[in-house]
Amino acid sequence: MTGMQGSIGLADGPGPVGQVGPVASVEDLRVTFRRGGRNVHALRGVTLHIAPGEIVGLVGESGSGKSVLGLSLLGLHPKASTKIEGTVMVCGQELTSGSAEEWRLVRRRYLGAVFQDPMTSLNPTMRIGRQVAEVAGNTDEAVRLLNAVGIADASARLSSFPHELSGGLRQRVMLAMAIAGTPRLVIADEPTTALDVTVQAQILRLLRRLRDDLGMAMLFVTHDLGVASQVADRIAVLYGGRLMEVGESADILERAVHPYSNGLLRSRLTLLSGRDRPVVSLAGEPPDPTNPPEGCPFCARCAFVEDLCRQSIPEPVEIRRHHQVACARAGSLTEITDEALAPWPQRADPTGLAVLVHAVTKTFSVGRGRRRRPLHSLRGVDLEIAPGEVVALVGESGSGKSTLLRAIAGLLRVDSGSVEFGVPGDPQMVFQDAGASLTPWLAVGALIAERFGSSGLSRAERGQRVEHALASVGLPPEVRSAKPRQLSGGQRQRVALARAIAVVPPLLLCDEPTSALDVSLAATILNLIGQLRRELSMAVLFVTHDLAVARIVADRVAVMYLGRIVEIGPVDSVVGDPKHPYTAALLASVPDPGVELKAVMGEPASPLDIPIGCGFASRCASADELCHRSDPQLDALSESSDGPIRSIRRVACFHPVRSDEALGGGGG
Amino acid sequence: MSPLAFAARRVSAAIVIVLILVAAMFTLQHLSRTDPAHAYLGAGASTTAVAAERVKLGLNQPVVTQFFHYVANLAQGNLGVSYRTRNPVATDIGEYLPATVELAFYALVMALAAGTLLGVASAGKWRGARVLKFVMVSGASAPLFLLALLGILVFYGHLGILPATGRTSSVNPPTGPTGFLTIDAVLAGRFGVLLNALRHLVMPALSLAIGPAVSIGRVLRGSLMTVLREDYVRTARAKGLRERRVLLSHALRNSVGPALSMTGLQFGLLLAGDVVVEQVFAWPGIGYYAAQSIPVGDFPAIGGVTLVLGVGYVAINALVDIFQRIADPRIKL
Repeated sequence: MTGMQGSIGLADGPGPVGQVGPVASVEDLRVTFRRGGRNVHALRGVTLHIAPGEIVGLVGESGSGKSVLGLSLLGLHPKASTKIEGTVMVCGQELTSGSAEEWRLVRRRYLGAVFQDPMTSLNPTMRIGRQVAEVAGNTDEAVRLLNAVGIADASARLSSFPHELSGGLRQRVMLAMAIAGTPRLVIADEPTTALDVTVQAQILRLLRRLRDDLGMAMLFVTHDLGVASQVADRIAVLYGGRLMEVGESADILERAVHPYSNGLLRSRLTLLSGRDRPVVSLAGEPPDPTNPPEGCPFCARCAFVEDLCRQSIPEPVEIRRHHQVACARAGSLTEITDEALAPWPQRADPTGLAVLVHAVTKTFSVGRGRRRRPLHSLRGVDLEIAPGEVVALVGESGSGKSTLLRAIAGLLRVDSGSVEFGVPGDPQMVFQDAGASLTPWLAVGALIAERFGSSGLSRAERGQRVEHALASVGLPPEVRSAKPRQLSGGQRQRVALARAIAVVPPLLLCDEPTSALDVSLAATILNLIGQLRRELSMAVLFVTHDLAVARIVADRVAVMYLGRIVEIGPVDSVVGDPKHPYTAALLASVPDPGVELKAVMGEPASPLDIPIGCGFASRCASADELCHRSDPQLDALSESSDGPIRSIRRVACFHPVRSDEALGGGGG
Repeated sequence: MSPLAFAARRVSAAIVIVLILVAAMFTLQHLSRTDPAHAYLGAGASTTAVAAERVKLGLNQPVVTQFFHYVANLAQGNLGVSYRTRNPVATDIGEYLPATVELAFYALVMALAAGTLLGVASAGKWRGARVLKFVMVSGASAPLFLLALLGILVFYGHLGILPATGRTSSVNPPTGPTGFLTIDAVLAGRFGVLLNALRHLVMPALSLAIGPAVSIGRVLRGSLMTVLREDYVRTARAKGLRERRVLLSHALRNSVGPALSMTGLQFGLLLAGDVVVEQVFAWPGIGYYAAQSIPVGDFPAIGGVTLVLGVGYVAINALVDIFQRIADPRIKL
């Protein structure tokens, strides 16, 4: 059985590996891909050492080369189209020009890997027991590993297929395979990005615990500094294929020197970001990897740029112990203070009615034949939004938030209840994946002009209104003749917004429009939505899984769980003083630097299997017999019931969190 | 869906297809203006004898009446009597069918084997894949009869290593119990007969297989190439599995779906080719039987063969669905 090699471990190592040397290192690593007849310079001279037992958080935006570095350490680049220069060492072996077989043995013995989406990363047609046993060597060892990653009834799960497991369980299976044979280094590439926030918190804790138990090193690739801060001992910031700054986590988070790491930190949204004004964003976009700049990759977006920066690439310099910065002006940087952005103008409280959702239910039917089961997606939702008001809808997968959005958009027929609009016109939608929601063969101008329909506008008038719509989302008029694929991700999301507001809709429905974007881009889109809704007095329903984002965009927030709104109220009061244990658990799962994660147990309940009592009871620390027996309704809290209707807080809970319990009341 | 519901659905599909086939046959019969009674009695029959025979065979009735009459008989398992052999068609088919099933089976096995080899070899960039592809594609682009004749010329006429016609040249071959010569020979313990039968099978089966093999191979290659870019293949490689294992135990199973669909489609073409191939190799199957019945307008015989082939096609496609379900547990039948 080939699987036996995995468990042999250290004894047959090819070379002597001392305790002091790094478990893996790259020296001046340059990786270039040949793609579509052009050279993509993904990594342009990266030097990084990973010590045994250490977790290095590799942070960067999309296109920074962070995943490429991870794959370089796994030797998984396609040989034919990749040029690798520099040095790659893993466990004392020089592998830069290693053969496929050498790399395979190194992966087998010393390396483990966890990837972003556990659904696509597991073989859909192979039982998980076999997938784990393939690396573990035998079934007993597979069961032991599955237990080690926190899968309770592991031996009963062996015969499951990946699609029969929840997202969190799937990622635990991936982890079990990664730690099989006790690797020296695990490459984890965005291992929590595809997971719900409460599950993310559990997996992050598990990763740390596994490292502590097994002593393996880890390269933790992520776009989110907050996530990195939760697990990493050191953080390395990558930009344009170069390392900008490397240092111990606390040092980077508190005393970042490089203007880029600083910018990343400042544009990161937290539960404390000011919401009375636009959020700080890094202007500009990352350099084109097919045509990288001669000087510092960041110089085009840097506030401290000088001629020297444009002429040569700065090398990393040690400015403190274990803290390196690649910036020509590292010694002479002043404290960065953002120009205080002007606060949003004050407005009168929104009145009137843009949309009224009343007692909406929707049940889908899944499976066929005797396996046919009802999936209760919406179980009685009430919601009203005033013109000019933004309501954020927060919830995890399966909560029904996207179904509610589609029901309001008229894209699906509800089973009972009603959706009424107080203002004429059709609601418009903006989706997460702007690229996929724009017809690829139509020019931007045509896509926007579609909104005018047969309104009898002349050609010139249409053109003018298209340009006006583009201008209001901050795009130049030339964009009208471009095709969606010629635009960047941020530009495409702007085009989607321009199309939605070309004729001002009574209600703008946003389905996670920023979650696929890098932090700095997300910030600009959030600012744009904030500006548009104020200028146009447009009601917005904004679906997000991220409470920090909800807090920034919304006036009110509605928290959904299992097809119901479990808590709703003004955003400051809900975030600052959550009443429902689930809201508290969500807040406690937000990975912010310096805040210890309190992971709630279990995973979001399945809409296929609705409990009799409160949907959250099985995960709730304060649930008692009453919660399991009867279903709490969404009632106004007594202390807030006198105020104006929009300041009323409602919560569906028999035992609301007391204000003094504050954050983390739902943690177990 | 439960197995029973699945079976019920496929059987009703088969019934609908049979009805459509019968209707199509009656239309053709009506349009062809061949007089089966004339064919039945021979060229020298008198006009009155022919007219009497038409009444006896029910040919003087309206086509629609004849159609319902035929269907009613069919429901009782009665396919009528062949005008040419004067045997019940069911008896004739019972005699000729095993030879065809045996040939089609070996052809299908060869098509699947060669198709898989072609697909895996070209997707895995194995050495020799290009040569294999060249040979197979040129084979598949030649018309079937030409390929069969060429095979006879080379392997029988020139090299003399394979027989040209028939199922067997053994003396007194076993005739039961299954009717499949290769199986009966094994059951009877006569391995000489088995070898002889296999030698007779090679050329006709290969001629039938090569077209479907290329189609299956190309579809398999396409889906393999897609699957090899999937995340779970990267996971398998990250585990440090051997490339062969990555390909065969992770990628291949996830790629067979489209290839199986193609196999179902190609089986129809294989049955059509069977009529030609049996003719060229004088293979005593129902294709051969049909080819002899067509010129004389022996409609009961032609009808029987058509129905058998139609039902065979439905059966194979039901099998394809079942195999797809086995290959991918996410598929519900």
